[in-house]
Amino acid sequence: MTRTFRQSAPVALGIVSFVIIFAIWELLVRVGWVNPFFTSQPSAIAAALGQQMQSGELLRNFLVSIREFAMGFGAAVVVGLVLGVVAGWYRTFEYILDPFLWFLYSAPLIAFYPIFVIRLGLGSGTVIAISFLLSVTPIAVNTLTGMKNINTGLILAAKSFGAHPHDLLWKVALPASVPMIVAGLRLGIGRALTGVVIAELFVSSAGLGYSISYNGQLLKTTNMFASLVVIVALGVACTQALSALEARFDSWRTGPGV
Amino acid sequence: MLNQKMTRIAALESRPRIVQNRAFVSTVAVLLFLILWETAPRMHWIDGTYTSEPSRVVMASLEIVRGGDLLRDVSLSLWEFTWGIVLAVLVGVPIGLLLGTFQTLRHLLDPPVMALYATPQLALLPIFVVWLGIGVGSKVAVVFAGAVIPIIVNSIAGVREVDRSLVLAARSFCAKQRDVFMKVIFPASLPAVTIGIRLGISRGVLGVIVAEMYVSQSGVGNEIMKYGSAFRVDYLLFYVMLVSVFGFTATTAVRAIEERLRK
Repeated sequence: MTRTFRQSAPVALGIVSFVIIFAIWELLVRVGWVNPFFTSQPSAIAAALGQQMQSGELLRNFLVSIREFAMGFGAAVVVGLVLGVVAGWYRTFEYILDPFLWFLYSAPLIAFYPIFVIRLGLGSGTVIAISFLLSVTPIAVNTLTGMKNINTGLILAAKSFGAHPHDLLWKVALPASVPMIVAGLRLGIGRALTGVVIAELFVSSAGLGYSISYNGQLLKTTNMFASLVVIVALGVACTQALSALEARFDSWRTGPGV
Repeated sequence: MLNQKMTRIAALESRPRIVQNRAFVSTVAVLLFLILWETAPRMHWIDGTYTSEPSRVVMASLEIVRGGDLLRDVSLSLWEFTWGIVLAVLVGVPIGLLLGTFQTLRHLLDPPVMALYATPQLALLPIFVVWLGIGVGSKVAVVFAGAVIPIIVNSIAGVREVDRSLVLAARSFCAKQRDVFMKVIFPASLPAVTIGIRLGISRGVLGVIVAEMYVSQSGVGNEIMKYGSAFRVDYLLFYVMLVSVFGFTATTAVRAIEERLRK
């Protein structure tokens, strides 16, 4: 009884906290202390979400953004993992890649969007490219770091039991780098979502980021918050999915000191 | 082949000297890239209008530096950035330390904080523009929003990772609750707090540039937008590199503080 209470307490408090926030927000507007023109109110946002769901606008914007995110992040995962593994294996390649990764990581890449627009058009292509470029660096850098810091004892042990190079990569090096790779994917997800949202602010005619920007220009705060709620939900869902993935691939690690 | 490489990983010292020289290999790679970048448009392999050339970037940089508007733009962007970061530290660190110390408070506020952590804070930009206008206010707000969340999250983690035995030792010597916090928990969580500040700075740099590109009347982001839409890639690259170097220098400086704190 005590135990189940303790386990469910954080979840219950979490729900309570969202309820309290929404209640205060709604109350401040109803009492008239806050102008709903600027802050909107939860009941109106819920109504707007319901109405957008019926008209199909919500689903359309969501599908556009999630497609751009999936393609940008998907490509970043493939390219980032390959670059990271190769650079982790071959040191010269790491040194060659290093300055370029540094520039990609610290440059405000959105600045180049006009050039992307020339090649990829004013829409999803450019958004995908920016999302990809933003998220590929943390994935590559973390994979590289993970591969570099493999415990050499693990490799020597595997080799002395006659492991093939193929086995070393798939059964030792990659599993041992899982925590670093997952940390890179976590950063990558955040930056890929950021990339989609900011690219849509500048070059898009559909999507959640576009919807926030468009409604902002019309001063429709309720619709802005409705799209924001969907973005928050998307971010939380991605982070949760990654935690599940981490548990699945890192289950062999039984304790500290491996 | 791979087998050979693995042996090398196991015995790092056996690798040839020249390959181990990181600075040499990196410099050669960058130089080769610059040469390729300079010659490709001249040989008509690619269209130089969209890629520019290193020599033109250098010329453009000299022109901008001589022009005189650079100082105005840089100081405006720097002003917005600094205000956002300072506010984020002043608000984020106390909140993070409080949430780290009091469990019930943490359970209560963790879900909204984590939800914001998983969200791109730049999605708030159009809302800030509606609230605060197109001037300095909305930029400070974007930098603040981007930086405060990682600062809170890392400060919480910092407090929670403080060695319990330190706290117990202080308690058994009859330290007051206030002393335990000020003399044990706070100093021990400082390295994690600086990690939060470092993440906040890199988000803040992107934030101020994106916000100025989105809507503004001057600032580095405004210049980037101006030259970007005019396809003056040489001018654009100067400003982009300026921002990169600033972001890199600022995060490296904070990382140095971080390492000093760990000692």
